[in-house]
Amino acid sequence: MSEARLPAQHEVTLLELVDRVLNKGVVLTGDVTLSVAGVDLVYVGLRVLIASVASLEEERA
Amino acid sequence: MAPTAESGNGWYVYGVVPAEAASRELFAAARGVHASGAVTLVADGDLAAIASGVPLTEFGEAAIEENLRDEAWLEEKVRAHETVLEAALAGTPLVPFRFGTIFRSDDHVRKMLRENPHLTDVLERLRGTVELGVKAYLDVDEFERRHGDEAEAGEGGRAYLLRKQRDRRLADARASFVNACAEESHARLSSAAEDARANPLHRPEVTGGAGEMLLNGAYLVRVDAEAGFKDALSALESRFAPDGVRYELTGPWPPYNFVEVER
Repeated sequence: MSEARLPAQHEVTLLELVDRVLNKGVVLTGDVTLSVAGVDLVYVGLRVLIASVASLEEERA
Repeated sequence: MAPTAESGNGWYVYGVVPAEAASRELFAAARGVHASGAVTLVADGDLAAIASGVPLTEFGEAAIEENLRDEAWLEEKVRAHETVLEAALAGTPLVPFRFGTIFRSDDHVRKMLRENPHLTDVLERLRGTVELGVKAYLDVDEFERRHGDEAEAGEGGRAYLLRKQRDRRLADARASFVNACAEESHARLSSAAEDARANPLHRPEVTGGAGEMLLNGAYLVRVDAEAGFKDALSALESRFAPDGVRYELTGPWPPYNFVEVER
């Protein structure tokens, strides 16, 4: 079990942060509020990014 | 979306805390999502919003969605949001807001606080608790080493068929193990927590070398019960590590998973 505050792989940590900061938390309508479509776009972008990083690391290993 | 360029400043709200417990000194060391605005509190009645000023050229409706596509911007801002909330977490219960909730004036922030008096009850429910994250991964190679019988050596049709049968047995055994382990893990951890969520699993292309994700849990744990929760996790680890399961504990987090989301 890892007691570390942050996992070693920074990309996964960013995903973990995005999972909480962008995807959870109270959604109240502000004068500016992110649309669900905007959040989903971030996920699409991140998944592509992380997938390519992961495959790069596998190639290196 | 109207692509009108916006100007002026807005108030970025990170979350809400009880007005009586909160002091702006909590945030003295925390940098907000934009260098131009120090993190402060905007109070109305029993509630106070943690907020900082942001330029609408960067955080206006059209601008923010555009900026979210820039991974460096996203990472910096998401981390800043989290850092501000973590600074508060040490000293007070808090209701985290989702990233990117912005008001045009501090009057609008106060109006939001007045219109959401139920946040007081949510804060009371969260008092004395923290969110912990537990992810569990299966090392598939290790599982197969432990559960697979010796591969049939040799060439020919019979050896090939035996290998195929063995692979199918292993795949079935793995699928039922993953289900059982996930269920058992979540149940044990939930019983050591006030509240629990099992979130969608990350797909293998995202977990990369970490293995097959079998649990992506969030647990609301009383601060005075944190040791018991960690004991429950250690017990699971002792039990399932020989099968190739690895647990990862993160937190304490602001209770993102335990405030209702209107999505």
